Amino acid sequence: MNIFEIKNCKKSFDGIKVIDDISFNVKEGEVLAIIGSSGSGKTTLLRICTFLQYMDDGEMSYLGEKIVTSDNGASRYIGQNELSIDALNNNKELIKIKSNFGLVFQNFNLFPHWTVLRNVMDAPISVEKRDKDEVEASAMKYLKKMGLETKAMRYPCELSGGQQQRVAIARALCLEPKIIYFDEPTSALDPELTGEILKVIKDLANENKTMVIVTHEMNFARDVADRAIFVDNGVIVEEGDAHELITNPKMERTKKFLQKYN
Amino acid sequence: MIEFIPKILSGAKATLLIFFMTLIFSLPLGLPICFMRMSKNRFVKGIATVIISILRGTPLMLQLIVWFFGPYYIFGIRLNSDWRILSIIIGFSINYAAYFAEIYRAGIESIPIGQYEAATVLGYTKTKRFFKIIFPQMVKRVLPPVTNEVITLIKDTSLAFVVAYAEMFTMAKQVAAAETTIVPLFVAGLFYYIFNYLVAFILEKIEKSFNYYS
Repeated sequence: MNIFEIKNCKKSFDGIKVIDDISFNVKEGEVLAIIGSSGSGKTTLLRICTFLQYMDDGEMSYLGEKIVTSDNGASRYIGQNELSIDALNNNKELIKIKSNFGLVFQNFNLFPHWTVLRNVMDAPISVEKRDKDEVEASAMKYLKKMGLETKAMRYPCELSGGQQQRVAIARALCLEPKIIYFDEPTSALDPELTGEILKVIKDLANENKTMVIVTHEMNFARDVADRAIFVDNGVIVEEGDAHELITNPKMERTKKFLQKYN
Repeated sequence: MIEFIPKILSGAKATLLIFFMTLIFSLPLGLPICFMRMSKNRFVKGIATVIISILRGTPLMLQLIVWFFGPYYIFGIRLNSDWRILSIIIGFSINYAAYFAEIYRAGIESIPIGQYEAATVLGYTKTKRFFKIIFPQMVKRVLPPVTNEVITLIKDTSLAFVVAYAEMFTMAKQVAAAETTIVPLFVAGLFYYIFNYLVAFILEKIEKSFNYYS
């Protein structure tokens, strides 16, 4: 079953095409790696998938439910008539759909005025209205999984970058999403801390969590992802089995890109 | 010599009344003005910009005169004697709210965009996002400039003399003139200083209470 699907996605900023007709889907339990140079449109793509940005045209669905349809060359989001970031933010219908996914940012974006535990617990309680005790138990379970149970009452500024990113992953997990997006989760970390985050993501992959990972860590993408897509200039140049695509690319542009990593 | 002290103290009471009432009204009032100023609606934003510009661009003394005499000279309304202190509190509150609005705006705009995005993805509504995530962080950031304004406010209360309100400095001047001595003015100055010292001390304590995170 497709957890997520996007079709013919197009996005321009001030007349400059950033995404030009991209389609892909993510099946349950699958790990998809999105690779490509900086400025190729990867992050914009992830922001469209998570409703931080709207697409100009295309279709999108979560768990088979159509969220965005294409109507006369323009995208149409359920529950709104206008295409703007404000309309996306104010769209009450999308809030329910947002519980299907989590997003882990490049620079963590934890809430600095809250303890680690509150960072993880607050959204399930105040957005999803779940029971406080149940959420606390669940939050502690995920913090333990991230090796951070002793840091529950600390503030983000007291943690290392790697620890902060693990809190961010626990925060995403605590909402029990069907799919988790990672936007270059290790780009703000030094090589040592990068290792600890990659290990956490690998563990999640072993538990068959559905994930989409935008990354520059080619070895990691090769070993952990099931499928990979290579994006360049807003189009998918090549896609297929992650191991095959990264070790044995077919297209010239993919080869050229991957050469820089060897 | 010492007999003028009660007079100055009664003036100090009037000064404190203006001070506290202005803070109670202007601190919250700054927030809606700030929202209007940051509105995406050009009309709403335009109104807020003009209002702030006038309030900051004209002397507070003049504004107090307009609030006090305006109802009679513009609309012909005769108001009773309570209007004096009311007009002073309105004039001060609205003037200070304009300054607070701009301080709040700077505070809100200094919150990294990632905080909004993280909250949005987690499903917080716009209102919850503001009050749970943005506002508490803004308060920490605006405390130092707000402290500045609060200290200025104590000294500005002396402007109420312009509508013949017997606040502390007015009383001190009266006594000084009657007794032909400058001492009452210095005593008033000492009161201002002590009070400001206390205010700065308290606000610094509040500021420190936010030091648990950076």
